[in-house]
Amino acid sequence: MKRNNKDIFLIFGLLALACVLFAGQVYGEEEYDEEAYGPLKPIVWAKPVKGVVFLHKTHTMGAGLECDSCHNGEMFEMAAGTAEENDDFTMASLYEGKYCGSCHDGETAFSSKTRCATCHVGVKGYNRLTGVVLHDAEGGNH
Amino acid sequence: MKVNDLEKLKSEGIENLPSEERRRFLRFGLAVTGVFLGGSVLSLTSTRNAQGAMGPVPPAGKFPYKPHYTMVIRQNRCIDCERCMEACTKTNNVASYGYRTTILEQEIDLGRGEKGRMFMPVLCNHCNRPPCVRVCPTTATFKNKENGIVMMDYDRCIGCKTCMAACPYNARYFKEENRAIDKCNFCFDTRISKGESKTACAAACPAGVRIFGDLTNYDDEAYQLIHTPEKVVWVLRPETGAMPNVFYMND
Repeated sequence: MKRNNKDIFLIFGLLALACVLFAGQVYGEEEYDEEAYGPLKPIVWAKPVKGVVFLHKTHTMGAGLECDSCHNGEMFEMAAGTAEENDDFTMASLYEGKYCGSCHDGETAFSSKTRCATCHVGVKGYNRLTGVVLHDAEGGNH
Repeated sequence: MKVNDLEKLKSEGIENLPSEERRRFLRFGLAVTGVFLGGSVLSLTSTRNAQGAMGPVPPAGKFPYKPHYTMVIRQNRCIDCERCMEACTKTNNVASYGYRTTILEQEIDLGRGEKGRMFMPVLCNHCNRPPCVRVCPTTATFKNKENGIVMMDYDRCIGCKTCMAACPYNARYFKEENRAIDKCNFCFDTRISKGESKTACAAACPAGVRIFGDLTNYDDEAYQLIHTPEKVVWVLRPETGAMPNVFYMND
């Protein structure tokens, strides 16, 4: 009897999962064209501070920017992670209008001096996005 | 029934009320004023609300310690880089399973269906009326008489964890290596008593979130920040009446 119940739950669970996956394909993922909009996978920087996220989707599909709006030989290379190897990939540079600061100046897009946690996802966000599993869960004082 | 109609009704008088009814009413009145419970009428009047309206920052000259250490947290600047936690762990030899300070994360509603993120650094609030100190059976945790820092005497701690339960800020953990409770002490033993002006976490913060200071010094950045007239300053869990000394604001 018990076993039967378990099976029913399993079947329902699988059905639900299939529905979600199917719906996702029809309404979400398929509309996003990586050729036109850039990689879907979030770019997560760890330098100079850990945990800053960039989403192509928000900027291309969302804000309607072209690839060469940013990949123009000045702002960002095509290869992900190139910018963070530069010593001047800092907030100070952004305030001077370099990198993200080219648009995030308070006029074209929100100023990089405000709304810090919009892009800064922190160590927690970094671990979530890169799939780091913490063995010593935080708040281990319970 | 409308008020106008009510006024037209004739008073029923109290002479027809059963005495049981009257007695119950009287008893209710006495219970409210606290006579039965041995309380006083004064206990019914709340001064907490009046204080709340004035904000959590005590008026100048009302800080009981000298220096009166504090930390001001400019919350919207926090990016959860956790350099503060790293510095704290290194400086104070914090165990991997515990923390003296940590960063909480919260999803916030930005309106129009948009979701945002907010980080909140937390640590011991070094309360003026610390619940942890009150419950400690061995006086192992105590308030330093000069500077008001809530400190630990590890040798006296029996590890009963009552202070952990009492702390409104979840700022304590049991350190196996010491067989004692460990907590933030504003780096007093490791830095402040050695002449450093900042705690390890404040010194490590790249975004100027944590401002450590002395509230009896009017020129101090922390003092000036929480006395900026146009700024809202708040504390966590003010309803506990613990009078915390860690203040929060957005820059």
